[in-house]
Amino acid sequence: MIRIENLTKSFTSKTGKGFKKETVTVNAVNKVSFECKPGRIFSLLGPNGAGKTTTLRMIAGIIDPTAGSAVVDHVDISQGNDEVKKRIGFLTGSTGLYQRLNADETLDFFGKLYRLPDAVYKERKEYLFEKLGIQDFRKKKLGQMSTGMKQKVSIARTLIHDPEVLIFDEPTSGLDVITADSIIDLIRESKENNKTVIFSSHIMSEVDLLCDDLAIISKGSIIYNDSFENFKKEMKADNLTQEFINRVKEA
Amino acid sequence: MRDLLLIIKKELKELLRDKKTIINSIVLPTLLIPILMFGGIKVSQMIQKSNQQKKVKIGLVNAPEDFKNLAETDTLNQISEYSVTDDFKALIEEETIQTAIVFPADWKRHMDSLSTAEVSIHRNGTKDNVNGRVSKLMDVYTTQLKEKRIAFLNIPTEKMTPLVQQYVEVGEQKELIGKRIGGFIPYIFILTMWGGCLLAAIDLVTGEKERKTIETTLSLPISKFSVLMGKAIVASLLGFIPALLNLTGLIIGLNFIDDIPDTFKIALTEMLSPQSIIMILLLLIPFSLFLAGLIISLVAGATSFKEAQSKASPIIILIIIPLVMALMPGIEFTWSTVFIPVLNIGLGVKEIMAGTINIGMYAAMLISLLVFAVLAIYFSYKKFSDENAILS
Repeated sequence: MIRIENLTKSFTSKTGKGFKKETVTVNAVNKVSFECKPGRIFSLLGPNGAGKTTTLRMIAGIIDPTAGSAVVDHVDISQGNDEVKKRIGFLTGSTGLYQRLNADETLDFFGKLYRLPDAVYKERKEYLFEKLGIQDFRKKKLGQMSTGMKQKVSIARTLIHDPEVLIFDEPTSGLDVITADSIIDLIRESKENNKTVIFSSHIMSEVDLLCDDLAIISKGSIIYNDSFENFKKEMKADNLTQEFINRVKEA
Repeated sequence: MRDLLLIIKKELKELLRDKKTIINSIVLPTLLIPILMFGGIKVSQMIQKSNQQKKVKIGLVNAPEDFKNLAETDTLNQISEYSVTDDFKALIEEETIQTAIVFPADWKRHMDSLSTAEVSIHRNGTKDNVNGRVSKLMDVYTTQLKEKRIAFLNIPTEKMTPLVQQYVEVGEQKELIGKRIGGFIPYIFILTMWGGCLLAAIDLVTGEKERKTIETTLSLPISKFSVLMGKAIVASLLGFIPALLNLTGLIIGLNFIDDIPDTFKIALTEMLSPQSIIMILLLLIPFSLFLAGLIISLVAGATSFKEAQSKASPIIILIIIPLVMALMPGIEFTWSTVFIPVLNIGLGVKEIMAGTINIGMYAAMLISLLVFAVLAIYFSYKKFSDENAILS
């Protein structure tokens, strides 16, 4: 479960030349509130620069919020980031993998840092390798892998500690349909296992396929937050993409 | 601690799989000093040999017969005679001759009257080999003339020699050589240490940003301080190891390269005793951490390898200047220099190698380096925790 209330993130930067410098504060995320329930897939949609990644980074404990609160799997993020991080599997376009390690070494590193018991870790790793078809290239260095291979390893490292909360930001971006399908299958499986899933994508067909609840963020604020079923009922445009564009433009 | 070790292991594994790191941090530092020593000795031998075989073209004016005979005893001297009106500057410039020795026209009168004559030597001050050999020739001739005069005046030789200087060396050979060349040793290994730390710190911080893995690392359930410390320790190791390999290379060079003068070899071997090496390495541990912390705090906000290099590279000046100062005469290892980073290492290593280090001052220097290391790590942590900088 994730519950966030009035979450705000401000960034301060200095502009100007020489001795005359001005401090400018910008709210990248402004009083955002929503709730993601276990056993449901929550889609957070928004155009580039809307504040989506900043919101996800705050939930994952990578950056600290300026104001507001967030509770992740019954742990308040203000109580300490490490406890939150243990409960989250976080995958975004900017969570790359260590190019000079292979898949086995990568998962070993994550498994040890999540302090998984040896037997549990080995079983989980083999299950994910089998499920995602990583067996054939598990000893290959990540720098020598294709985009699809790398993304499979990324998904495996996100799920290695079987977290209660999963955050997937564009997990199928740039992948072929077969690889994308295996990833979507794993996301569905996580939902069936009663995990809380945040799924963000620009591919509306995937949103349509997976989404249970939906929020749209634009210019740092939430402009829509309800179930996907209600969103579809309220749709004025012919398709999801057009409806999304219209709502962002109207906001 | 367990997490820190995991980070260190992962970072080391990644760095040591990079060919650039292996070449810069292991291969080059090990081979650098033996190659420099071997190359330096061979080049100086070659120059010396070729200088000895070079002909010197000397122009003479009004030269007496005995001088001509003396000059011709060295078959490499090519003698030509000129008149006093010739343009010796032009002759030397166009390399017809390399030097001209002009005796006065009334040379014989001066010699007969036992007075002093002036001999002009036209030369190019940059031609060390020619000038050295001509000076030697003139010295021999002057001595011959003096002896003739002493004999003529019938003066016993001892009366013309009021004193003979005899130096009794009380300093050890180790101290003499240590003070003279001890300053060059840190010059070499601090620069390789800087290079190692710089490459590693940029790869571990800016490189992670470029490869988009910094966010992955920060999403792990470990503190930012552990991540930073892991990176700083690995960067300092990659600076410390080349310095250690420099010293190893020096010892290998001393043992396996022939042609090093024995006195020099013995003194250097004595200077590089296990005790001296341990004392030097102990200084380098906090110093490498200081460098790693300093570089990380400088490059934390950089978004590309190029930007990181341009931010960190100017600091090399702050390292070279104190090292050059440490080589200057008159700058000593005192209580006022003991707390200045880099300069204290340059001067301290000289004292360690000469065997004259004051243990109290050594301890003070070690503590000051530890304090600087802690400060540098603190600043790098502040920069590393800056979300704007690290996630830019």
